[in-house]
Amino acid sequence: MNTISLNYLVDSLKLIKPEIALSITLVLIVLVDLIMNKDKKFLPYVFVAGLLVTVYLLIEQFSTSAFAFTTAPNLGMVIIDPFGNFFKLLIAFATIIVIMFSVLSNEIKEGLDRQGEYYALMSGMILGMFLMASSADLILIYVSLELVSLSSYVLAGFNKNHVRNSEASLKYVIYGGISSGIMLFGISILYGLTGSTNLYEINSLIQASQVHGLTFIVASVLIFVGMGFKISAAPFHFWTPDVYEGSPIPITAYLSIASKAAGFALLIRFIKITFIQSVDPNGFWHLLNVIDWKTFFIIISILTMTLGNFAALWQNNMKRLLAYSSIAHAGYLLLGLTVLSNEGIMAIIIYFVVYGIMNLGAFLVVMLIANKLGSEEIDDYDGLGSKAPFLSVSLAIFLVSLTGLPPTAGFIGKLYIFMALVDAKMIAVAVIALLNTVVSLYYYIRVLKHIFLNDPQKETQVLSTSVASVVFLVVLITPVLLFGIYFTPLVDLAKSSISLMGF
Amino acid sequence: MTEPMMINLALAILFLPLLGFLVTLLFGKRIKSIYTFEIAIIILAFVGAVVLLFTKLSYYQNTDIVSQVSWINLGNVPLLGNTTIDIGILIDNISVLMIFVVTLISMLVHIFSIVYMEGDRLYNRYFAYLGIFTFSMTGIVFTHNMLMMYIFWELVGLSSYLLIGFWYEKKSASDAGKKAFIVNRVGDLGMLSGILLLYTTYHTFTFSQIFSQIAAGHFPLNSEFWLTVTGILLFCGAIGKSAQFPLHVWLPDAMEGPTPVSALIHAATMVAAGVYLVVRIFPLLTSGALMFIAVIGMLSAFIPATIALTQNDIKKVLAYSTISQLGYMVMGLGVGAYKFAFFHLITHAFFKALLFLGSGSVIHAMHHEQDITKMGGLRKKMPITYATFLIASLAISGIPLTSGFLSKDGILQGSFAFGSLTGYWIFAFVGFLVAMMTAFYMFRLLILTFHGEPRDHHKYEHAHESPFTMAMPLAVLAVLSIFIWYTPNPFNPEQGAILSNWIKTPQLVTPQDSRFNFMKSELPANVAVQQVTQNSEVMYSESYTQALEGAHIPSLLLSLTLAGLGILIAFSFYQWKKVDVDKLADSIKPLYKLSYNKWYFDEIYGAVFVGGTLLLSRALAWFDQYIVDGIVNGAATVTRAVSRFSGKFDNVVVDGMVNGTAYVSGFIGLIFRRFQTGKVQTYIVLVVFSLVILLFIFK
Repeated sequence: MNTISLNYLVDSLKLIKPEIALSITLVLIVLVDLIMNKDKKFLPYVFVAGLLVTVYLLIEQFSTSAFAFTTAPNLGMVIIDPFGNFFKLLIAFATIIVIMFSVLSNEIKEGLDRQGEYYALMSGMILGMFLMASSADLILIYVSLELVSLSSYVLAGFNKNHVRNSEASLKYVIYGGISSGIMLFGISILYGLTGSTNLYEINSLIQASQVHGLTFIVASVLIFVGMGFKISAAPFHFWTPDVYEGSPIPITAYLSIASKAAGFALLIRFIKITFIQSVDPNGFWHLLNVIDWKTFFIIISILTMTLGNFAALWQNNMKRLLAYSSIAHAGYLLLGLTVLSNEGIMAIIIYFVVYGIMNLGAFLVVMLIANKLGSEEIDDYDGLGSKAPFLSVSLAIFLVSLTGLPPTAGFIGKLYIFMALVDAKMIAVAVIALLNTVVSLYYYIRVLKHIFLNDPQKETQVLSTSVASVVFLVVLITPVLLFGIYFTPLVDLAKSSISLMGF
Repeated sequence: MTEPMMINLALAILFLPLLGFLVTLLFGKRIKSIYTFEIAIIILAFVGAVVLLFTKLSYYQNTDIVSQVSWINLGNVPLLGNTTIDIGILIDNISVLMIFVVTLISMLVHIFSIVYMEGDRLYNRYFAYLGIFTFSMTGIVFTHNMLMMYIFWELVGLSSYLLIGFWYEKKSASDAGKKAFIVNRVGDLGMLSGILLLYTTYHTFTFSQIFSQIAAGHFPLNSEFWLTVTGILLFCGAIGKSAQFPLHVWLPDAMEGPTPVSALIHAATMVAAGVYLVVRIFPLLTSGALMFIAVIGMLSAFIPATIALTQNDIKKVLAYSTISQLGYMVMGLGVGAYKFAFFHLITHAFFKALLFLGSGSVIHAMHHEQDITKMGGLRKKMPITYATFLIASLAISGIPLTSGFLSKDGILQGSFAFGSLTGYWIFAFVGFLVAMMTAFYMFRLLILTFHGEPRDHHKYEHAHESPFTMAMPLAVLAVLSIFIWYTPNPFNPEQGAILSNWIKTPQLVTPQDSRFNFMKSELPANVAVQQVTQNSEVMYSESYTQALEGAHIPSLLLSLTLAGLGILIAFSFYQWKKVDVDKLADSIKPLYKLSYNKWYFDEIYGAVFVGGTLLLSRALAWFDQYIVDGIVNGAATVTRAVSRFSGKFDNVVVDGMVNGTAYVSGFIGLIFRRFQTGKVQTYIVLVVFSLVILLFIFK
């Protein structure tokens, strides 16, 4: 008995090597922080090194499909599959970029003495996100979600001295607490109904038609609240603008990419595994006839993108504008889920890569400008085109890409989403999404109008950009333009990442 | 060298000039000496091309290397079907020879320009433009599909526009740039239609796939007629780029660009692209399309040759001679002399680049004087320029021991054989006639420029031989205009490796009954005959090979006699002054004027197209003023009543709708913003509230 359980543990550990690497990194960061009292400059590089090892381990096991920590034959708490691995890779890369952000950020430099804390929290957060992307058990889902949330609450208020940081953090805690409470309520109902916390087990129980009725629907919707909170889908998005505006910019960027990616991975996995009946040869999913998820997601996604886009029209603060834009993008991403097909998942994956790069790029430019101007107000951007031509042109490229115009990668992302919609004969939804894109054009281009057409209100000197940030920007611009012209590798990556364990 | 390495090398050759362009353009203002980077890049590309040429011809002589990636793969698109677009690189003998020529001449032009362009305000930008020009041409050479061909084709158009109009402060230069661009668009429209016709039929842009589908009997719109049309449409692109009649008018004006640019455009890049396109699509051309091509080529060879007889601008003479020589190549392709036409493209590239750079050297020495009637006697002052110019003139006139003799004689031989097989002797006749005219006008140019007494003493005094960086390219090109590189026997090009082994006439894919008789595949009965002549390659059919062999001696003698006659006349007119040229011109005044005024092409086009457009607009204006206004005025009273109403409608309903949309959008935004109170209590109430609604909907 003992040997068996030991084997079982070793087998499982083999599968979670990336997570182990992350945990070691976390410990290392704390230790280095303790040992190095004065000079903490190379803390971020320790973190990056740990992440690179993680990335290597992830690529090594990219196409593996297996359960870890099995509770019964073919059932386990943790799933390793290409789908999860893709999201983990995405999160890892986003983290590396955000660490670079933090090194360049003035806001983070203020709290230089608490750097160890900052990076330790971030590594805890990424570990939580990794688990979110691969959990098949309600308990693990909840625990990983909380791990991510708790770290991000603290990070959002990292600069204790700034009132708006603390305010953002407090709002985030209260709001997040309520959401996870509601979710936990849903989970407990589901457990009460089925007697199981494993998604696969719950799925087979529903298939055997042992679970029915209103209670089940209530439980599912309550669980969705927790995930909707993470991906900032309307009507659970209210925290987003306030927290995004209040947090340090690197953290805002991180929340808008990594934590959203983990949320999407979790949501897709939850829906597909729990409610799937069969997948037809064309890749369309046939869900169990319990709850009309299609209509549910259509309503949520249209609401999310419309709300995000329309509210963004009135924003005067760049971070707030990007917050609403990220809500709108969550809406577009949800469209990929509404079609309930493998093609839709492929579109989501493509969109996520593109969205990650261009959104990080936009935040980076906003941060670099804020470093110089000390402001994120759009009115202060007047005449920036002549003062900082490189930053302005970069921002223009990212914003055009966020709008989804060719020849940028943003166009390719939207193209695949719309193609999936048209393929599923959801023309009306596609038209609404298209109209939404038109609305979004207005507020993105308005920023460019301020930058390039308005005359500066007050005379300021030419803003110089450091070599490091120029190089970094070029690294982010290149894929935005390259994938706009040549996107086959992106599509191939997406195709190899759509397979979920068991299907 | 393995095949993947060759592909990588080809990619490096392709993208190096682009790198040079970007770097030189971006840092041109800050770093004064950045042009050396561009020159270094182009030398590197040339070295790569030499390695590629050597490897391909010695180890992979009979294997073509193709590498492709799917550029756009949309899978199964609703309404369009399976949509994938491949792009790729094709390394065959034709492309490596061409890339060698392109990079070599581009490199020499770069080096030549160092001194020639010295002191120019936009010195670095000039080199950047040369870089993108080379990049565009390299793309055309390496492409394995029609789409990439078109993309780079347009890039060539763009870069030629930039370079021809390089001195844009001069109105004539910027006009010439525009003219080249617009005239080329006319041809490109045809080419684009041809490409679209091919894509809708075959769902691919790749040459080899298109050819194999045609060979399998699949035609555009299911008819052989449309295959002919497609061929002619694609050829329209070549008419524009290679300045063939009737779209040749842009080329003489393009002389407004810097002279090294003219050398680049007229020898290796732009105009060669048109001929190269026909070379690439040759297998799909039906007899009808070939006939069309031959006629266009013949006209383009003849008309500009007659114009060149009387021009006095050194560059204009060379410009018209370029059109005429391109006409030769196109005619050669049309009559099926594929090998000789491509061969002539290469030899012509060298000696024409030499002629242009030589004229650049003269112009540089004469302080931007281009009128040959004001030159003369430069032989003593500029011995190197003179010697090299003489070699190039001999080559273009088709005198033995030069490269031009080999290739030009081949084309004449081909058209002679074509005449004997089909009865269309006109091509051979015009070909020989043009050969004589070419010899005449080239030696007229040479004698007026370099021989005799100087006519403008002031400028002559200041004339000087060009420095090394300008003389070296001339010497290299002069050496390449000698026969020895191409064949050991100066009277038979087919004994050289280039024609016997490297350039091969491609397998035709057109259906048998839409080919010329002599191009039809041999019947199996002739197997025995084929075995006998196994060593000498059979191009199309046995009868063609025999006709070609039969044409060799007569065409050789005839062309030699005529070229000699042309040179003799030139000498007697201008050197020995046996005939009073002015009196002769007076006695055939109408013809002289026709030639001197370039057959009035610009005037005719001005009147017909520009004038036509203006006339049409005037007619429309008249129609507008009298008919439309009349109706309007007549109905004024009604209108006024209606307008009052429609004004209201406009203000209230239409404007209301337009403004309303914006207003409503904004309003919705305002409402949404209302929810964002900043109070977390409110948020939570809203969450719970919306949760209840959701549950209510989905219960």
